[in-house]
Amino acid sequence: MIYNAQNLPVNGNINSYSFCMDVTGEMFIQKGKMVAYYGALKFESLSAGAYDVLVKESFNSPLYMKNFVVVTGRGKLILGDRGNHIASYDLEDGNLTVRSTNVLGFEPSLICQESTVPGYLTLLGTGKFLASSNGAVHFLEPPVRVDEDALLGWADMPSPSYRYDYSYMRGMSGMIRSFVSNRSSGEEKQLDFTGQGTILIQSSETGLVGSTNLETIVSQTSSLQQHELQQLSTHLQGLMQNR
Amino acid sequence: MPQYSLINSKMLSIKLHGEEVYAKRGSMIAYTGQVDFAPSSSGSEGLGGRAMRSVTGEQMSLMSARGTGEVLYAFYGLHVTLIQLSGETFFAESESLLAYDGRLRSGTQFMGSGGMQGMLRGAATGSGLFTTTLEGAGELAIVSDGDSFALDVTHDRPIFVDPQAYIGHRGQLQSNIVTDVGWKSFVGQSSGESYQLKFTGLGTVYIQAAERGGNR
Repeated sequence: MIYNAQNLPVNGNINSYSFCMDVTGEMFIQKGKMVAYYGALKFESLSAGAYDVLVKESFNSPLYMKNFVVVTGRGKLILGDRGNHIASYDLEDGNLTVRSTNVLGFEPSLICQESTVPGYLTLLGTGKFLASSNGAVHFLEPPVRVDEDALLGWADMPSPSYRYDYSYMRGMSGMIRSFVSNRSSGEEKQLDFTGQGTILIQSSETGLVGSTNLETIVSQTSSLQQHELQQLSTHLQGLMQNR
Repeated sequence: MPQYSLINSKMLSIKLHGEEVYAKRGSMIAYTGQVDFAPSSSGSEGLGGRAMRSVTGEQMSLMSARGTGEVLYAFYGLHVTLIQLSGETFFAESESLLAYDGRLRSGTQFMGSGGMQGMLRGAATGSGLFTTTLEGAGELAIVSDGDSFALDVTHDRPIFVDPQAYIGHRGQLQSNIVTDVGWKSFVGQSSGESYQLKFTGLGTVYIQAAERGGNR
């Protein structure tokens, strides 16, 4: 099967790992996810100045501005994300929060804001967006507790809170674990979802390959006091020596 | 004639009846019958081609298999695609090439159009200004991160491709680098799609849904 501009799917998956978008106006996409395109498309950074109005209205998240670009023009745009699964979602007057590294693109009819949960973006309104996941996406309904690493996002529901499993932590092995490493397996700490809505999880506990939440972490350090920064520095040095 | 077939999307079987097959080094996972393996740096291109490779730096680390039996190939869980050639030339990134045999003649070709353009292509794909060519009638197998797919190029429909997603192409195609390197790139606000390979002419381009040189 050889694709051309006519027989490529219209806003659909070519295979699990690549997605073809019909671009007719403007669209936000995550930087570096363009694999190929037909037609006359232009990619511009959000901070270029040409899209100030668009950015002001639809991209209310300065923290993630350098992770996204605006694509304009007319053409067929093929997106891929390091062999991760890609799916498109239609939001109708919705409120959906997704892990920021997994948001591949969205239409400017949606408004993008930073979630109060670090590392997540909230999309509000009506429109189409694309998300990537490690393995296919599965939908759950509350009440449910989810491993943080497998969580992709949640829709039309309150933000989750953490739930700890004390019996798992208190056991002898749990004590040793907490001394030896601060890397938890995720079994003793889950995100607790209550209320009404939908939860999206991916079929894997590993995050997207090569993605980080560094921007979020760095942005939060600005609220720290002098002595807290000192502690953080000591903590980081300890981490680096153990790696 | 060696018989190529896919066992699943990530595993290739080649049945040999005394011929020689060239494959990516380290990709053989099992074999039956009487097959001898030997390292080979140039495949089916003779002494001149070997000299050309050492000069151009378009290195292929291949291993040859000769004998009678069945050999199974797989490479780090990457997807395998079979491509049938009938006399034309296939241009491939050497690291995407999984297997081919003596029916195809391999060589190297200068891809950059010289000067700044050529240098940019090398910098963008990370794989040099030269590409591997395979010419003849027969099958070849390529590997890709996620399934690969083919995109048509016609005279009125050029295509733009992320250099790191490019696997190979066939047909009468010219490639050149398109940049949107403006003053913005120099103050650290590039769009991240700064280099694009533009293919014009008549032919087919093969791409994968992942950027090479990522974290795999």
